[in-house]
Amino acid sequence: MQLRPILSTLRRHKLTAGLLVLQAAITCAIVCNVVFMIANRVQRISVPTGIAENELSVIQSTGIEKGANPQAQHAADLATLRGIPGVQSAVAVSYSMPLDQSESSSGICPSKQALDRAMQNNSIEGSGCVEPAVYDGTPGLIKTLGLRLVAGRDFRPEEFVSEGKPAVAIVTRALAQHLYPGEQALGKSMYDGDNYVLIVGIVDRLLRPNLRAPGVDGDSLISPRRPPDLSVLYVMRSAPQDRASVLQAASAALLKLNPNRLIPPTRMQTYQEIRAEYFQRDTTMIGLLLASALGLLFVTALGITGLANFWVQQRRRSIGIRRAIGATRGDIVRYFLTENFLIVSVGIVLGMLLAFLLNGVLMQHYELPRLPLFYLPIGALLLWGLGQLAVLGPALRAAAVPPVVATRSV
Amino acid sequence: MFRYNFELAAHGLRRFPRSSVLVVLTVALGLAACMTTLTLLHVLTADPLPGRSQFIYQAWVDTVQGKAFTTSADMALNGVSASSGYQRIKLGDAQALLAAHRATRQVVTADVISDVASGDGKHVLGSQVILATSSDFVPMFGVSLRYGRNWSAAEETTRVPVAMLDTDTAQKLFGTANAVGRRVRLGKTLFQVVGVFSPYAPQPHFYGLDMGAYSSDGWEGIYLPYTAALDAGLGPLTTDRCDASYRAPVGSLPNDPAHCASLGFWVQLNSPAQVAGYRTFLTHYVEQQKQLTGFDQPATAKLTSVAGWLKQQDVVPDSVRLNVWLAGSFLLLCMINVAGLLAARFLRRSGEIGIRRALGAPRRAVFAQHVLEAGGACLAGGVLAMPLTWLGVWTLRQQGSEFSGLVHLDPLMFGALFALALAVGMAVGILPAWRAAAVEPGLQVKGE
Repeated sequence: MQLRPILSTLRRHKLTAGLLVLQAAITCAIVCNVVFMIANRVQRISVPTGIAENELSVIQSTGIEKGANPQAQHAADLATLRGIPGVQSAVAVSYSMPLDQSESSSGICPSKQALDRAMQNNSIEGSGCVEPAVYDGTPGLIKTLGLRLVAGRDFRPEEFVSEGKPAVAIVTRALAQHLYPGEQALGKSMYDGDNYVLIVGIVDRLLRPNLRAPGVDGDSLISPRRPPDLSVLYVMRSAPQDRASVLQAASAALLKLNPNRLIPPTRMQTYQEIRAEYFQRDTTMIGLLLASALGLLFVTALGITGLANFWVQQRRRSIGIRRAIGATRGDIVRYFLTENFLIVSVGIVLGMLLAFLLNGVLMQHYELPRLPLFYLPIGALLLWGLGQLAVLGPALRAAAVPPVVATRSV
Repeated sequence: MFRYNFELAAHGLRRFPRSSVLVVLTVALGLAACMTTLTLLHVLTADPLPGRSQFIYQAWVDTVQGKAFTTSADMALNGVSASSGYQRIKLGDAQALLAAHRATRQVVTADVISDVASGDGKHVLGSQVILATSSDFVPMFGVSLRYGRNWSAAEETTRVPVAMLDTDTAQKLFGTANAVGRRVRLGKTLFQVVGVFSPYAPQPHFYGLDMGAYSSDGWEGIYLPYTAALDAGLGPLTTDRCDASYRAPVGSLPNDPAHCASLGFWVQLNSPAQVAGYRTFLTHYVEQQKQLTGFDQPATAKLTSVAGWLKQQDVVPDSVRLNVWLAGSFLLLCMINVAGLLAARFLRRSGEIGIRRALGAPRRAVFAQHVLEAGGACLAGGVLAMPLTWLGVWTLRQQGSEFSGLVHLDPLMFGALFALALAVGMAVGILPAWRAAAVEPGLQVKGE
């Protein structure tokens, strides 16, 4: 394939060819960045919580009876819930669930010295203290949530307290590492401001109710404290297909047991609904980004096809002449494909520069990380493929021009 | 001449129907994407109180004693968040500033949460957000009264438990909008309802941003005098910082406004001179306080306009601006696309243009004809973009985010759409039309 004739033709269509190059460049730059943003969001919304997500459902109950004993009510409620067909286990928690937004957190220090340091600096920064999310609940919490113990043991029934602060806790691996870097955290006593709390177990992972920053999102502490209030969240574990029926049955059973309570319909949820709600904005954003990327590619393809169609019509005569003097159909198709390849290639080179400029701007304003280099070849391949596909139709039409056109005058 | 050019342009559009449709469609897509995101931005950046907000300022004096350590375990903040970047003041300062009466109007604001019951206990609304404020709030923020009256300054200072409800809350509690004379129970205190107002929901919710900046469901449905609210044990929901010496009683939230900066303070200042005067007053006030109590940080006072406050708090979500940029670049791409198509089609007519030029048409006429053709195509695109924009806005409304219910199209945005369509038409038409007008007269005739 000779490039000379293609180049000299393009030189005669500087304006249109230039506009096509510009279009390819802008598309390349934006699509690279948009795909990168989509990848970031997808990574964010697929963060694992550490619990048995597809087997859990929750139901909130708020007692409105004055003077009732909350914990007796919880015990009775839980006994009822456990009797519902399909429920494997059930516990009550105050309100905290991973990604459920209501968070209770507490300053925890590895030692009294660290706390003093923090008090002195008026900040927990650099003191060694951390601020984990605190989860509580009734006995059976670890098993019901499906947390994986990697060291130590589960709570013993006698360690659960109804009021005051428990003397033991289970922490996540992330929290253990932040409190005691490089040391064995199991068996250590943390200091929570008033008293020592013994670490009896370490679970693999338990995400916070509210994400803060990637480094501290896994810092959680489980405290064997029974929910103290009449407002409580019941967590039930069942087979995934039973969740809907379990929720319905649970609501009916609870109201039958004691009608003096409110069960907000918005708080009868499977865990997956809670998770979807938390990431709702991100999901919307992914949809928007995806739509805009597809829109950009679509418009670029339209532009390439439209211009190629014009060029084919314009060059009917010269195509006819080339066919008449021996060019095969394949030659004509290849001519148009190569022409498009050249134009898009120049666009891609420009586009890569633009992509980095754009990424720089985005890094400044939207806390986006630097664009990894491997996005560039992917973007280039995508655009080359798109260009070739878009020009294929017009190229085939060009190949269908009969040689006899050459013999006709205009 | 214009008519002739117009006819030629229309003829040109009809001559290549397929590519004309392509041009119109591409322009419509670009315009619709751009207008949809601009509509959202327009709604979110709108003035919360048109005609009033330019006179409203937030006043802040920092008299908190010593840096408080807010992360120790006894401050495990169940439900109360220590927010940063806020500018609230302590009760003592608020009362002193109210008493000084140096602004046209001045109000205290704090959001509190409580269950609300009708006086007879038959209807209960759980966890309502309530605004504890002062009597100037209604006239200063333009709340419109439906029944009854606002509470008086005297009732406020003598701590009489009175309340105002909005019509929705009154309807829910009493089954009627006119609840004047009824009583509501918050905690252990009965409040007498003296007035009912129409639901009041400025967007964004600039005087209580930590309740969320935007909401389609309205804001506080109950207003109480801050004095009576504090008496009833309703503490502010959020607080900035507390005095270092202050420790909240065991089991209660660290939000006592006597020791914690937890009250918003807003003043109405009608002229630049008044603003300058108030600023001086605030500075003097805080310096005086420093001398009296000797707190250790520099004496700081600030007066922030509503617009400045919203900007400082960055209430418009980043993603919204990002969408505008994305849609803008999409429109740009569509324009380049259309310019390419137009250039190709104009230049196919080189022969025709050459003949026209040879017959005496000036460059100007050729140029005008082609710009008109481009403009016409883009206007058609604008018309088609209208239903598409409507569709885009409808899609936004389905998105269940806190501001989705607020998005709507107004005439201004339609005007903007057509202005944009015309501008786009001119922008994409100029380069190809200039190229067409540059065709030499004789050359083309000879060539063919």
